[in-house]
Amino acid sequence: MAQTLARRELRLESPDMQAARAIPSQGAIGAGITIRNVVKNYGAFVAADRISLDIEPGEFITLLGPSGSGKTTLLNLLAGFQAPDAGEILVDGAPIQNVPTHRRGFGMVFQSYALFPNMTVAQNVAFPMRMAKMDRATSDRRVAETLEMMRLSDHAGKLPSQMSGGQQQRVAIARAIVMRPRVVLMDEPLSALDRRLRESIQIEIRELHQTIGSTILFVTHDQSEALTMSDRIAVMDAGHIVQIARPAEIYRRPQSRFVASFVGESNLIDAQVVGRDGRVLTLRTPGGQVFEAQSRHGVQDDRATVLVRPERIALHDAPVPGSMPATVTSALFLGEVLRIEVVLDDGQTLLIRCPDIAGRDLPAVGARLNVGWGAADSWVLS
Amino acid sequence: MTQASLAPAARAGLAQRLKNPALLLVPAVLFLALFYLMPLIDLFRVSMSGPTWSTHFERVFSVPLYWESLLRTMQIAFTVACLCALLGYPTALLIHRTRGIVQVLIATAVILPYFIAILIRTYAWMVLLGRNGPINKLLQTLGLIDTPLALLFNRGSVLLGMTAVLLPLMVLSIYASVARLDQGLTRAALASGAGPLAVFWRVLLPLTLPGIGAGFLLVFVAGLGFFITPTLLGGPGDQMFAMHITQQADSITGEGFLQALAVVLLVITLVVVGLAGRIMGFQFIWGGGKLGDAPAKPAADKTARSRAPRRGLAMVLADMLGWPLLRLLGRLPAGWGRATVWIMGACVIVTVIVPIFVVMVISFSKASYLTFPPPDWSLRWYEKFFSDSNWMTAFWNSLGIASLSAVISVSLGATAAMGIVRSNIRHKSALMLLLVSPMIVPPVVLGLSLYALFLKLGLVGTYLGLAAAHAIGGIPIVVVIVAASLQAVDQRLEQGAAVHGASPLTVFRTVTLPAIAPGLAAAVFFAFLHSFDELVLSLFLSSPRMKTLPLMLWADINYQLNPVLAVVSTLEVLLVVGGIILARPVLARGRAA
Repeated sequence: MAQTLARRELRLESPDMQAARAIPSQGAIGAGITIRNVVKNYGAFVAADRISLDIEPGEFITLLGPSGSGKTTLLNLLAGFQAPDAGEILVDGAPIQNVPTHRRGFGMVFQSYALFPNMTVAQNVAFPMRMAKMDRATSDRRVAETLEMMRLSDHAGKLPSQMSGGQQQRVAIARAIVMRPRVVLMDEPLSALDRRLRESIQIEIRELHQTIGSTILFVTHDQSEALTMSDRIAVMDAGHIVQIARPAEIYRRPQSRFVASFVGESNLIDAQVVGRDGRVLTLRTPGGQVFEAQSRHGVQDDRATVLVRPERIALHDAPVPGSMPATVTSALFLGEVLRIEVVLDDGQTLLIRCPDIAGRDLPAVGARLNVGWGAADSWVLS
Repeated sequence: MTQASLAPAARAGLAQRLKNPALLLVPAVLFLALFYLMPLIDLFRVSMSGPTWSTHFERVFSVPLYWESLLRTMQIAFTVACLCALLGYPTALLIHRTRGIVQVLIATAVILPYFIAILIRTYAWMVLLGRNGPINKLLQTLGLIDTPLALLFNRGSVLLGMTAVLLPLMVLSIYASVARLDQGLTRAALASGAGPLAVFWRVLLPLTLPGIGAGFLLVFVAGLGFFITPTLLGGPGDQMFAMHITQQADSITGEGFLQALAVVLLVITLVVVGLAGRIMGFQFIWGGGKLGDAPAKPAADKTARSRAPRRGLAMVLADMLGWPLLRLLGRLPAGWGRATVWIMGACVIVTVIVPIFVVMVISFSKASYLTFPPPDWSLRWYEKFFSDSNWMTAFWNSLGIASLSAVISVSLGATAAMGIVRSNIRHKSALMLLLVSPMIVPPVVLGLSLYALFLKLGLVGTYLGLAAAHAIGGIPIVVVIVAASLQAVDQRLEQGAAVHGASPLTVFRTVTLPAIAPGLAAAVFFAFLHSFDELVLSLFLSSPRMKTLPLMLWADINYQLNPVLAVVSTLEVLLVVGGIILARPVLARGRAA
């Protein structure tokens, strides 16, 4: 019954959907997406385990996780390449399980670009409008606009095989956004590009998002990409979303050991809880050093894992209150930062990144230092 | 002083030149020049030896018997090519889309018959369509007919037989282009709003068109020179051109006219291949990638690539007609597309594999005539085969000739492949074309042209003669397979070995040879099989005292259809299956590497 109702709703809505596709407006508002208890199994392997996710209209969401964590599966379910085994997906409140891919009206960018090799750049970009039976004049205008926006106007007549990887990916993006779709799905679109190019296209995509206003779902395993681009990041592991939050929140206040170590570099210290003051805990390392750390709710256990980001650790030549003595085991000059590894007297190793400032020399291996951090620099993982 | 310093330099230059891999091409080119090009040139010369150069050709085109047969040949070849494309495309898609064991089964069902002699597959159709064959039996049992239908010896049976025989070629050719497609393209088209039919019409079809074109041409060209199948399955009204050549060869006609017939067939074949090669590149013949001429490559590449696809008139027309038609089909329920692919694919599989099964079953029949299902089971026909000295002599002859021919083909073909892949000579494409061209020359023409040479050299009816003749067709097979495996060898591995102190010979022995070993093994097997199955050349070049297995089969099929033929067919199928099973670990290793 509910199924038929949903289908009817959809049919009622589809002329509107087509109308929306036929007259795309500049800066159209993206669609809100609701994913409820979605399950997808491949045989015994659970690729998506009761995933629920609410995406605001026009939001830029990144699905971040290692390979096999279920992020691409989730994207494929949204695109309609696969059907969920259970759960539902709603776009602007309407379920889309029974809408085939080509009627969903999304845009999509693929890791392999997936440009049609037999069509020119302009024909590739015009393809979605050709499929939507848009009149030639509008189509030509939109192609020109979009190519202009992606700085591809000079390449309109070229074949994909005549272009560099970065250019091809920009064509793929142009094809995905030319219809001003409500939702754009991006499946690791930058992973085949070199780092410099990747960073420049990251910024381009970010700006594009602000111009066209579509909801963007971006899949990546590159944490720096996720931090740079997203409104919110959904960190995925083994078919679950383990944390979803704004980039700064994910980085500074990760929920679990997994998130802490997957996003950014981290020092994880196991310590004993010796005092509580609201959300600030006092902890003692196995070596007897005592320090303070912030937590989300306060911790009931008497043991806790504390995250200290490498750039939050301060180096002191002489002991100061709260600092701990340490021995340098490695020191590298990376340009804008120094990367130093030390070992505390209790055997705990720490990674430190500190800015290359005047008057600080690269410490020698074996040198004795004092390291320390404040309560605001450390975070108790729950 | 100057001379003293120059002499070693000159010697070094000579040594350097002797190391040029291009020299590896010399043996194969010499062999083909002697046994292939020269006889063909001689054929042209003799065909023009009448009172004026055109006398014999005028006769070919003025006698209705011949030019009507020529038209009929082209018509049949074209129809067969169309049928193959129509049926082959869904089958190739089916192989591509299925997974696991289903895919393996379908692929095997299509590929296995490809390696079984045309003679045997045609014979299987004679059994299947015969008066007492399974189809008539089935129709009678169902009560649809009272008396057996005459299914054989008409145009329909010729078309059916040729299509069934040539289908694997088409499926393999299309599959090669389908498998190369990026899976993401279909998804990208779907995500761009293209329905399944639009995905097919706008993306899948245009991108696999080269595969279809290549398959179509290979089938058409093979069809033009077809001799075995129409002879066995056709009636008096289905005479194809190649059949006239063999018939004229039997009766003594004035020298020249016979050659003119062969030249006409050859020229038509070459014109078709030439035109096709101009349009889509000659590599369609060997189904591989481009072998660029080393120095000219970058420039040629650039000009070819900067040509943006123009929508020709034909394309616009096709789009105007085909797309609305397809959209009409789109009104049908969504499941129909998938169902059509499955049904057509199933038809193809039944067509190619069932006749072989039927023949294998019949070989165990007790009846002394062909009937299916057999009234009772026995091994009497196996006993007859193994105890009949004629059959056994023919069998040993075939084995000996095929082994010798495989040795010639592989030694000449593998060195030539090495030369073509590893040297930097110019006109590489032209040389490759020469090496593989025997694949497209109608065997009847080749046989006729060789006959004159063999008479002169006294090679008619000898082991060496037949082995050499079969090697003409064996060399292209070896060159294609070995060149492909050589191109797949990572040259950085060879450079790595050389950097670490391996001499060129050691590099070849330790890196190159192991990498191409699977290809080489396959080449040996297919060269052997090619010779073992060869009939048409043998018809021209053997003597009554020197019979090969296919020749015995041919004589028996024409003289008396009995189950001994089924025994031979079964043994041949077992040989192919056994060869593939033996080769599988080797081939699988090659694919994994």
